[in-house]
Amino acid sequence: MASEALTSQDKAYAHRIDAPQTATAPGSPASFAFVPSLVRLLVSAALLVVLAALAYVLHLNRQPGLSLSLLLGAAFGIVLQRSRFCFFCNFRDWFDRGDPRGLFGILVALAVGIVGYAVVFGAWLPDPSSGRLPPDAFIGPVSLVLPVAGLAFGAGMAISGSCVSAHLYRLGEGSATAPFALIGTVIGFILGFMSWNTLYLTQIVGAPIVWLPHWVGYAGTLVASLIMLALVALWLSRGGQQRSQPVDDTPWRKILIHRWPAWIGGAIVGVIGMVAYLRVAPLGVTAEIGSRARQIASVTGLSTGRLEGLDTLRGCVTVIRDGLVSNNGAFIAALVVASFAAAFVSGQFKPERPTAGQASRGVIGGILLGWGAMTGLGCTIGTLLSGIMAGALSGWVFAVAVFTGIAATLLVGRRIGALG
Amino acid sequence: MKRASLFTAVTLTVIGLAGPTLAQTPKGPLVNGEWLEKNLSDPKVRVVEVSVEPGLFERGHIPNAQNVVWHTDLVDTVRRDIATKEKFQDLVRKLGIDKDTTVVLYGDNNNWFAAWGAWIFKSYGFDNIKLLDGGRKKWEADKRPFDSRVASVAPSQVSIGEPNSKLRARLSDVNDAVSKKSNATIVDIRSPDEYSGKVFAPPGSQELSVRAGHVPGAINVPWVRAVNEDGTIKSADELKKLYAAAGIDDSKPIIVYCRIGERSSHTWFVLSQILGYDVRNYDGSWTEYGNTVGLPVVNVAGTVWGGK
Repeated sequence: MASEALTSQDKAYAHRIDAPQTATAPGSPASFAFVPSLVRLLVSAALLVVLAALAYVLHLNRQPGLSLSLLLGAAFGIVLQRSRFCFFCNFRDWFDRGDPRGLFGILVALAVGIVGYAVVFGAWLPDPSSGRLPPDAFIGPVSLVLPVAGLAFGAGMAISGSCVSAHLYRLGEGSATAPFALIGTVIGFILGFMSWNTLYLTQIVGAPIVWLPHWVGYAGTLVASLIMLALVALWLSRGGQQRSQPVDDTPWRKILIHRWPAWIGGAIVGVIGMVAYLRVAPLGVTAEIGSRARQIASVTGLSTGRLEGLDTLRGCVTVIRDGLVSNNGAFIAALVVASFAAAFVSGQFKPERPTAGQASRGVIGGILLGWGAMTGLGCTIGTLLSGIMAGALSGWVFAVAVFTGIAATLLVGRRIGALG
Repeated sequence: MKRASLFTAVTLTVIGLAGPTLAQTPKGPLVNGEWLEKNLSDPKVRVVEVSVEPGLFERGHIPNAQNVVWHTDLVDTVRRDIATKEKFQDLVRKLGIDKDTTVVLYGDNNNWFAAWGAWIFKSYGFDNIKLLDGGRKKWEADKRPFDSRVASVAPSQVSIGEPNSKLRARLSDVNDAVSKKSNATIVDIRSPDEYSGKVFAPPGSQELSVRAGHVPGAINVPWVRAVNEDGTIKSADELKKLYAAAGIDDSKPIIVYCRIGERSSHTWFVLSQILGYDVRNYDGSWTEYGNTVGLPVVNVAGTVWGGK
């Protein structure tokens, strides 16, 4: 059993992986690293087999959308956990320590996704100038509400320690903050519904919906977007390149235990984004959370009325559903289960007892995340990632606002001593 | 389940044997998947998908099919009306359709919007208009292929005239039937709950009427009674019996309506194209009639708009 203890390199990674939690919560991290690795491997493998079997049963029952959502959600959960594809942590690595490698992962995801979307668009909508938008791509209105939503979302990330997708995979790592952040997100969504009609009628209704290929074609969008990403990459690495230490270990341990290089995770996220759009719907993690929040809001009478114009907009738009599982619901569930499997096998499943600080920061940050995701019609995955991949101006605007929101909140929060 | 699919397979074989010779354009208004699959590359056959769910066509459609969007292509997007002559002419030219082209329409939701498309095509004088029996659902269930690439077609130079007003009922035609100035039979093809006034619209529908119920004298035969379990349309004999039992036959002109005119296109297709009756589609439907001030309404359920 002693041989299963983490190597010093593992510890270095584990430290980085859990930095947002361990920094704030001494708690009692009960690392499951003491469980023999064979048992961990079997448990994780069994979970993935169960997901695969479920997907197969759905496939046999002619539910291709649900089946694929389950598989894509599982793949997404594994990649997020293994490569720590967390917008906030990656930003903070660069913001605090000048390490841009995590952010490069996000840029790679965008670059791969932009190319992938262009390939799909070219087949679906050969002429982008026709005035028609590609079906269900996340191309949202650009109004004043969008940067405000992005700032709120960024602040929520800084306070709660992650964005919504990262809280979901952290749930699989046993994070003490994640459950509170997700509860906060639901509350934030309900507040979003309550403010929606005013925001929509005063700001969003006349706002332009800008799809870049409509103006500059697919080639123009590809060139402009990729140059933009390259410029951002250059700017991020202006403090000098950091050399990655090559991990010297067996291939299995590199895959199952060590953190994957961020750019590999990013490339896989880009491919998943394209495949999800091709076969089911653009990647997004808040549609299901939003529709559950809407159900709660309507049952409790907090927001029963009609949400003006919401059904006509693109994004992680919430619709009232019946009790059955939606594609997005299957995606989210598989994401959490698979990220648990990935965390468990690597010894990174560390359930903690939440501290009061974690709980309150989770809820407060979560409320901002939920409000931002509702009024911004998506989160860092839907509006930012899937939006930029689709050539939507709304994706770029949201991205700028989100990162500005994180930076501002970190600066102010640290000055007043509320954030570490 | 196995037994059911075996049964379906046997039934299909029997239908296949009894059906018309393949490769020749079927005489009737319906084509089946087997015929269509063999004739997809025929330049005189144009397959057109009219679905309502966004992204359905793009993620996979019948090979060589063209996409038509009901909400923008087949209606006037400013006035409430069908597409104007100029707009529809542009569309059919772009789709490469000529007067002698066999147009096969299909879509999701049991061909509701494909049937609306058929009604518009017929109104603008296109004769060779057919529906793929069972629509997308049946094509998929029969494990026939889908394609996600959009085939490019050479545009046509067809010219069209004003729409044939004989296929369309207006509010005045419905009023005439209600006040017995005409002898038309009105058929309400909505669900029994919409007909009785228990609900204003099907769940999830945006377009509401501020009164519930139905047009006085309208006979309720929900559209779904005309289709089999697998979405295909019942045989002409079955249909004739079914509608005769409700008091609908070819002795009098017929007006069909629903909520916005799309489901009623389905029944319009069945009654006019398959049974050959004189039928008009009232596309104003309940969202026009039920909102018009002063008209008589039958509301059996007694539902009050906005009241608790």
